[in-house]
Formats: sequence, structure tokens, C-alpha cells
Amino acid sequence: MTTHAPSDNRSGPILLVEDNEVNRDMLIRRLKRAGFAVIWAGDGEEALAQMRQHQPSLVLLDINLPIKDGWQTCKEAREDADLRHIPIVALTAHAMDSDRLAALEAGFDDYATKPIDFPELVAKIQGFLNA
Amino acid sequence: MNAIDDQSSDWASRVLASLAPLRETAARSSVTLSEVAADDLAAINDAAARLTDIIALNNSEARHDRLNLIGAIKGYAEMLYEDRDQLHPAIVTSLEPLLAAVQAQTATESQQATFNNSDEEPGFILAVDDAPENRDLISRLLGKAGHTVITAESGQEALDLLETQAVDMVLLDLMMPGIGGAEVLTFMKSDERLRATPVIMISGRQDMDQIVACIQAGADDYLLKPFNPVLLQARISAGIERKRWHDREERYREQLERSERFIRATFGRYLSDDIVKEILENPEGLKLGGDLREVTIMMSDIRGFTSLSESLPPEQVVALLNRYLGRMTEIILDYRGTIDEFLGDAVLAVFGAPRSEGNDAQRAADCALAMQAAMAEINAANVADGLPELEMAIALNTGKVVAGNIGSERRSKYGFVGHEMNVTSRIEDVTGAGEILISDNTRQHLSKDYETGESRSVSAKGIGEQLVVYPLIGGAT
Repeated sequence: MTTHAPSDNRSGPILLVEDNEVNRDMLIRRLKRAGFAVIWAGDGEEALAQMRQHQPSLVLLDINLPIKDGWQTCKEAREDADLRHIPIVALTAHAMDSDRLAALEAGFDDYATKPIDFPELVAKIQGFLNA
Repeated sequence: MNAIDDQSSDWASRVLASLAPLRETAARSSVTLSEVAADDLAAINDAAARLTDIIALNNSEARHDRLNLIGAIKGYAEMLYEDRDQLHPAIVTSLEPLLAAVQAQTATESQQATFNNSDEEPGFILAVDDAPENRDLISRLLGKAGHTVITAESGQEALDLLETQAVDMVLLDLMMPGIGGAEVLTFMKSDERLRATPVIMISGRQDMDQIVACIQAGADDYLLKPFNPVLLQARISAGIERKRWHDREERYREQLERSERFIRATFGRYLSDDIVKEILENPEGLKLGGDLREVTIMMSDIRGFTSLSESLPPEQVVALLNRYLGRMTEIILDYRGTIDEFLGDAVLAVFGAPRSEGNDAQRAADCALAMQAAMAEINAANVADGLPELEMAIALNTGKVVAGNIGSERRSKYGFVGHEMNVTSRIEDVTGAGEILISDNTRQHLSKDYETGESRSVSAKGIGEQLVVYPLIGGAT
């Protein structure tokens, strides 16, 4: 298992949006250990505010969120001229392909199924940051 | 949904059970932990406690929480393992059951996802990309879907692998140092063996012009970075499907070639190349089962050959026969006759089978005249070699015969049977040396331009009828 150093051709931290604090803490810790700068939000409303304020290089967005769920948050980000360029990766507990397809149709750039395969997630993040 | 809930709670139970060795080891006073490792372990214990609380709940919210908590435990366990060099060996050992438990279900779930992906056939895929994270990602994504992936980090390595590995498709990065994707593509398309292997180009949006050039050069599709995994899967499936179709087509083609070889082997000796080719191009026009058709039958032999052969040394007999039959075969095939049989010096040929050309009797007559004309040349050669001169008789008759593959499964040949065959044989019996005798039936198929002599009546022994025959003297001029 290898860790990947983040590329520096995209500035801005990674925004992790996750309401489950146990999982969120784990992912923050793990992303930081892999060398990424990480900020976080606990719900969709807060996520949009963080995106506007910090212009993250990428958003990892849980689907099941309080106040504003992942679908709605993604939709609003896509409708916002200042945010629509930011890649958004859905974190979903659904392994079904129909749900994955729904995520892509909803405007997500990619998805990762929970529990997260971390090396795969890092590879995806690298893919976006290096694109 | 209930089945999945049950699975995730079963999984949670297994994960919790697998924690016991780790907890026991960590509790030992002899085992010390770094601060980071202690934090990770505390987080695992915290998540495990929460997981215990909700393990028995059965609703979709609980399932989501369970997966989050398992995910957290998995994450911390993997982080501990990543730092295993700095851990007490006993911790590493006791971490293994936990890792196995958190990862086992991941595999099962992705197998389900693959299974849900229905009828997709797994493929053998070569992924070529100079960026290790892309190779890693492609391997993971496609590996999860059940495909076997080999990777190459350069164009050269890709070419080397392609030489030895029969892959179903190639994912090819466009921009690579050294030999680039376009060059690998060009090589593949110029190689007989690799030409049909589907190629998907991978590139950034900014390289669209080159992607278009690659598609024109034979690439099947393209994918933009970063990968959209669903698109990747879809294109892989389509590519593999295409390859399978191609392979199937190849097999059909081989089968066809085999039956073509069979047809050639069956007819090649008897038919001109033209007719074999026509049969192969229009196989439905040929009924191997046997059919009743009107043909013109030709029988020829060398008068007095049996007694002649008895008076000559065997090698001279063979030399005579080969020169004679060789030349006759050429002429018959020239007139698109079908040679049914050689019987010693006798030749049985048929015009109008396996397919009629409408002027079968006329071609047979022309052929017979050409054969008689060729005898002068053959005899000149015979005389030069000190061999005797030969005289040939030819009989022609037109009528309906059964044509088809006659014989058993093991040994059969395309042949002809019927009354008209016997009639032809009777005519041949009464044909004089150097003569062509044609039946009245055949004569009626010829235009008035053909010159025939006085009619004769032949009593056909065993046939019980009188036959009217004519000597054929000259062709249409």
C-alpha cells in the first residue's frame, strides 16, 4: 500500500463533507497523512459556504447529509458559476451501478463507494488534480 | 434491501469479533505504542463501541451508519498497517484478522456489483500510461469489475507486452515520453495479429485534435482524464464485446475456409477453377444432396488400348496415358466440363453439373471436337518418343441424370447415375476410331451450324430401344 504525495499544480485544499464524525475524522487523518491539505464540513449548506470561501481543489461529498443532502448540494454547486469547475466526488454507501450512474447524471464527477478504498480514492483525487 | 442490511450487520459482527486479538495485544504491558498508533487504536475502539450500539438495528439509516463505522475502522486499521514498520510485531500480527475482516466484505460487495453488471464478460486488458496513479486506478477499477489487467508504463513496454500477450483490448495513454500512444496505435494497426484488438485512447481534453487523428488511424474510442469510471466500464465492455465478435467472426471464417478446402478437395480435381470459385461464391446453387438435372454426358476412350497396353512395357503405357489424359483434362476443364472419372484410358465427363450454363451440349460438342483435334499433336509427340499413335472415340448424350455426392459418409464423390449414363456407354461402344457420335437428344440442343453426318441406328443392348445417333463432323464456324 502506497501513499501518494499531492500534486501542487492545483492549489486549494480538499473539502471533505461528511456528517458522520467517526468516519470524517478517520478520512481527515488519513488524507493528511497522505499529504493533502483538508478542510471539512458537516452538512450541505456548510459545504457550499466552504466552497465559496476556500475554493477547494476538489470536494469529497457524502450523499446522506443533514440540512441539505449531497444531491442538492451538488446541483447547487453546478448552478453556481463560481463553483461549477470544482470537481466533486460522491461518497456513497450504495454499491449498485444504477446509483453510481445516478450520481454521475446528477453532476458528480466521480464516486467512491463506502467503505472507502483509500488507495483508489487517492488515485482518483490525483487524477483530478493532475488533469 | 433487507438482504443487504443483513449482510452489513453480519459484516459488522465479524469486524467486531476480529478486534479481540488486537485489543488483547494492545492491553499487554510489554507492548508499547507510539502516540499516533495509540490514537488510531483509540479511534478504532470508539468506532467499534458505536458499531456495537447499532449492530442490531435494521433500517436503512442504521445500514448507512454501519458502513460508515466499518469504513472508519477499516481506515484506521489500514493506517496502522501502513506504519507497521514502527509497530510492535505482535500488534501487526493481531491486526491481520481485522484487516481480513474489513477487506473481505469489500471484495464481496464489489463482486456483487460486478454480478449486478449482468452479462459482462471479463477481459484481459493492457493499460498503458506513464502516470503510476492512472495505472493504479485503472487496474483497481477494472480489477474490481472482474477483468484481468496488465500495465505498461511506456510505449516500448506496451509493444514488448503486445508481442507476447494476447490481450482483448488496450487502454492507451496519448501523451507519454518516448514512444507515444499514437505510435503504439500505428504499430498495432499495421500488425496483422494486433489489428483487430480494440484500442481506447486516454488523454486530456486539450489533446482533442490528436484524439481525432487517432480515431482516424483506427482507435475505437477515447476517454478523457480524469476517468469517469462508468464510462470507462462501458467502453471496456463495448470493446471486449467487439473483440469477441471479431474472434467469433474469425472462427466462422476459419470454418468457412475449412469447408472451402473441402469443396476444393472434392471438386478441384474434376472441375475447372472457375466453377469451383463459382460454387464457393454461390454455395446455395449447389445441392450436395443430389438432384435430377439435364446434362450432356461425354465418354471417351482410346480404341484398342487394352490390347495395345498388353504389348507395351508398363512405363510406356503410363507415359502414353499421362500425356493423353493430361491433355484431355486440360481441354475438358477449358470447356468447363466436370470430369467424373478416369477409368484406365476412358474418361467420363459431364457438362451442366454441378451447375448448368445453358449451353452445356454446345460446350460438350466443342470440347469433343477440340479433343479430337488435339490427337494430332499428341500423336506427333508419341511418334517422336517412339510410342504408338492413338485413336480416340467420343460419345455424347444429353438427358436427365441424378447428380450428387454418392457414396457413404466415409467415402463419397460427386457423381452421376441414371439411365442416360448407360445410354451414353452404349453409344460409346459403337463409336469408331477418331469419331464423335452424338445422340439425337444432344443434336437437338445444337444449332444448325454444327455439321453432322448420316444418322445411324444403334440397338442398345439391355435398354430395349433403338437409338438414333449422328457423327459430329464439324463445329459452328
